[in-house]
Amino acid sequence: MLEVITQKLGGLMGLRRSNLAVPILDGVFKPNNLLEEAKVLAEREGMEDMAIAPDGQLLVACGSEVLACNDKGGLSLVAGYDAPITALAVLPDGHRVVALGDRIEIEGKAVPPLRDAAGKPFRAITSLSLSRDGALLICDASAQHNTTHWRYDLMEKGASGRLVSVDPSSGAAEVLQSGLQWAYGAWQAQDGCILVSESWHHRLRRVGKGSMGEMPGYPARITPTADGGFWLAMFAARMQIVEFVLNETDFRREMIATVDPDYWISPAYSSGKDFLEPLLSGGVKQMGILKPWAPPRSYGLAVRFDAQRVPVMSVHSRVGGENHGIVTVLERGEEVLALSKGAGRLLQLDAGTIRRANAIGGEYV
Amino acid sequence: MNTLVKLRYRFWPDKIFGELLQKPWMETAVPLLVLLLVIAFFSARIDNFISITNLNDTLRQACELGFVVLGMSIVLIVGGIDLSVGSIYALCNLLALYCVNVLGFGMIPAVAITLVAGGVLGAVNGILVGYLRMRAFLTTMVTLIVYKALHDMLNATVGVAISANFPDAPAWDYLGFGTFLSLPVVLWVFAVVAVAGHVFLTRLRAGWHVMAIGGNRRSAYNTGLPVKRVVALSYVASGVFAATAAIFFASRLASPGADTGKGLEIVVLTAAILGGIRLGGGKGSVMKAVLGTLIILLLTNGMLRMAMSAGMSRVILATILLLAALLDIRWFKNRHKAVQELYVSPGYMELPEPPSTAADSGSPFALNDKLRQVETIGLGEIESPEDVALDADDNLYCGNRHGDIIRFFAPDYKRQEVYAHIGGQPLGIVMTKQGTLFVCVGGMGLYKVNPDRSVEKVTDETNRSLFSIIDDSRLRLADDLDIAPDGRIFFSEATIRYEMHEWPTDSLEARGNGRIICYDPRNRKTHTCLRNLIFPNGIVMASDGQSILFAESWACRISRYWFDGPKAGKVEPVIENLPGYPDNLNRASDGNYWLAIMGVRNPVFDLAMRKPGFRRRMSKKLPGDEWLAPNLNTGCIAKISESGEVLDVMWDLGGENHPMITSMREHKGHLFIGGIHNNRIGRLRLENADPEFADLKEAGNA
Repeated sequence: MLEVITQKLGGLMGLRRSNLAVPILDGVFKPNNLLEEAKVLAEREGMEDMAIAPDGQLLVACGSEVLACNDKGGLSLVAGYDAPITALAVLPDGHRVVALGDRIEIEGKAVPPLRDAAGKPFRAITSLSLSRDGALLICDASAQHNTTHWRYDLMEKGASGRLVSVDPSSGAAEVLQSGLQWAYGAWQAQDGCILVSESWHHRLRRVGKGSMGEMPGYPARITPTADGGFWLAMFAARMQIVEFVLNETDFRREMIATVDPDYWISPAYSSGKDFLEPLLSGGVKQMGILKPWAPPRSYGLAVRFDAQRVPVMSVHSRVGGENHGIVTVLERGEEVLALSKGAGRLLQLDAGTIRRANAIGGEYV
Repeated sequence: MNTLVKLRYRFWPDKIFGELLQKPWMETAVPLLVLLLVIAFFSARIDNFISITNLNDTLRQACELGFVVLGMSIVLIVGGIDLSVGSIYALCNLLALYCVNVLGFGMIPAVAITLVAGGVLGAVNGILVGYLRMRAFLTTMVTLIVYKALHDMLNATVGVAISANFPDAPAWDYLGFGTFLSLPVVLWVFAVVAVAGHVFLTRLRAGWHVMAIGGNRRSAYNTGLPVKRVVALSYVASGVFAATAAIFFASRLASPGADTGKGLEIVVLTAAILGGIRLGGGKGSVMKAVLGTLIILLLTNGMLRMAMSAGMSRVILATILLLAALLDIRWFKNRHKAVQELYVSPGYMELPEPPSTAADSGSPFALNDKLRQVETIGLGEIESPEDVALDADDNLYCGNRHGDIIRFFAPDYKRQEVYAHIGGQPLGIVMTKQGTLFVCVGGMGLYKVNPDRSVEKVTDETNRSLFSIIDDSRLRLADDLDIAPDGRIFFSEATIRYEMHEWPTDSLEARGNGRIICYDPRNRKTHTCLRNLIFPNGIVMASDGQSILFAESWACRISRYWFDGPKAGKVEPVIENLPGYPDNLNRASDGNYWLAIMGVRNPVFDLAMRKPGFRRRMSKKLPGDEWLAPNLNTGCIAKISESGEVLDVMWDLGGENHPMITSMREHKGHLFIGGIHNNRIGRLRLENADPEFADLKEAGNA
């Protein structure tokens, strides 16, 4: 009540502060075009996740198949499953771990697929990663909606995700954090601290210790790098209209009830292909050009953090580009691989180029 | 529930508030309202608050105070402040009384001397602030103290002498007590001065200089205005006005009191700011000064008669000053925001489920790539060709956003020239057989370009409607036109609430803001035929010559309006529920009509159309770039019959080749395509079209 009154009063006096503000793309997040200009290593509809095996083999989850990708981008079938793969990891011993939405299958283990933890079944496993002691960190994004219904979880303000740690050999599970707003990636630092992506909260949460700062995008998977830092993929950038619609209960309910989710006001992995998607006035083409600073329904963005968990550089594919919806980024030596779910592409970038474009090492390009 | 929402948005006049706020006189209306409230309050609390005797006395005081407020106002408008008015007033009071009572001067020399003295005292401020560039606040505070000290010293020496003498000067007494036509003399003088001041500030060059310097001193300097002199003179004026007030005060009370003018600056400042004169300068009027004065005087008198202690009423006045100053700063800082927030006033609009556009749906609007073969003309060389027209020699004409009519030369349309410069953005254009081009110009009205390239205004105003707050007699957004066989020109005005550059905002309102207007060349009269249309856009003459087909963009429908014949005045729907937003309509060679659909509806936008509150909050809380907009990135061209059958639809799948279509014109077997946000003109070869067809109009004697 008091808040409403102060808001009204503040509005009258021009002191009102907007609760719809979204951090702008500046500083480390300053836009470049690296993702858009990146080399397309492989292209196939349905790419979802990727991982590097201990022998250096790059594995890509695509649809319900695990594919091996060679240096030239050639894809070959490794294994097929009976359901779409939603996350992929490889254990230090070389065994593949595959999440199929609501269950996890560990290759070469006789144990039956993992279907629940702490008495609650998995629903939407979005990410598999390894902790320092070899345990499997599982992000179960939501207890209400499966991974393909992620828009419902966002629009219903879902906060039922959890982070589960599982010992791959025994299958013993421990819930590290629950009540997460769409958990979409996890990573453990050298000091033992675990970060988990909370997409709808636009933050990385330190398990048991609160959150890191607000971000201009929706964080997705986190992957470790050799120097102790990590890459954070962001599957979309934020728009004020989404924050606004989240406050508009009546409109949101009716939208959920009557409109096809593909055409909702929401972030997207890719956009611009269908004129039934909502359009914002900044996105109206002028003189045949869609402005790159138009509100981003979909966007390509990944951020590199150093070992101190400070963001240091970013790669982008801006509005009007193709390589949107980045969900996983891997660093292999001087090679950076990014998986664009929106375009169904595996992108290859050069770490040196990224550093130069972000003016790391004092070089401006 | 929905019916309630519908009724509420149909009948509650949301848009009035925004429109009222935009009016310049609104700023004067606020102090007027405060004045009425003050009167109402004290009339209720005090008997005889408004009585003739009381009024007479109040008016005398009001006019004296009013003079000082006027002076202060001029200084404030120039961007300064004069705190020394109280001391000048006191000194002048003493001087006037000394002249009359001790020296025995007549009224005229006494007044003249006092006025000059006031001017000189003000000039000290003026020189210090204007020429020596000292801070107004500090300088006038120092002069306040110095003049006050001077007054106290002089008062001690001459006060007794003044009090001891009773001069016999009827003219002088007349100033203080006389009436003319039963109103006090001071009121007449004040009225004359106020009117003169109003004329000065609003009509005279020097007054404009005062306003300009207050508005932006640097710009005023850069345009060559004598900033220093005007600033200095404003303090002189303030001094003279204070002296004038002192003269009337002296003649009325003849009292050289030690307390004269004490705290006057606070009262005067409060009055000026309550009246709505900006502390920052550049804004203000005589009317505001007068209103502020009345408010303050009634307040002080009222408090006096409610037996409030002097200290208490001072505290109240000071508090009011503080609040007024706060409001002043906040209001002027946020006014445009408030207007912007209040101006957009969405209405309720329920559109039925649109026909499908899916390629395999079998709907007449199914996606195809018939526009794939469009050739482009002037790609990247033309900006915003909303409409296109061709002449008898096949040359192509279109408008651009720089306000030109561009001509592309037949046969290859590679060369172009500026055919004519109009100034506003040309929207709909038609070519007559005689070679005259009629053009609807956004923000200007209906124009024509004669064959000798001279540009002529046809009309830019229509009859004003009785109850509109915004002036709707001017044409804001003339959009498309066609010419009747008898020479009458029918044209649409898409919206009366938005300007050319913000027309997409009108889509958020989905209100009947547009109209269709007729210009009759026979008597050169313009009148509005149809009102309250939802963004009327394309217009084309129907085959009977007695009716027009017109498109209403945001309502997604085509209607027919009979202006002559047995059905005159009737409007009937032709097509309702298009899958997109219809734009221009033109004739096809086979007797049917081409319809440009500038954008396609999407389910979320349609939903938002049923949620006016949602759209209003969106326009308030989000920046314009983040507002939902009709999707203008993909359009199509449809061929419709007069009865509303959809005969053909042409899409450009993916919009690669020709995004954004707002118009098209068939000419000799080709279709020429324009688009308001586009940078090209398209040309498409038509199968089975009459190769001799040219869409030229018969112009009357317009």
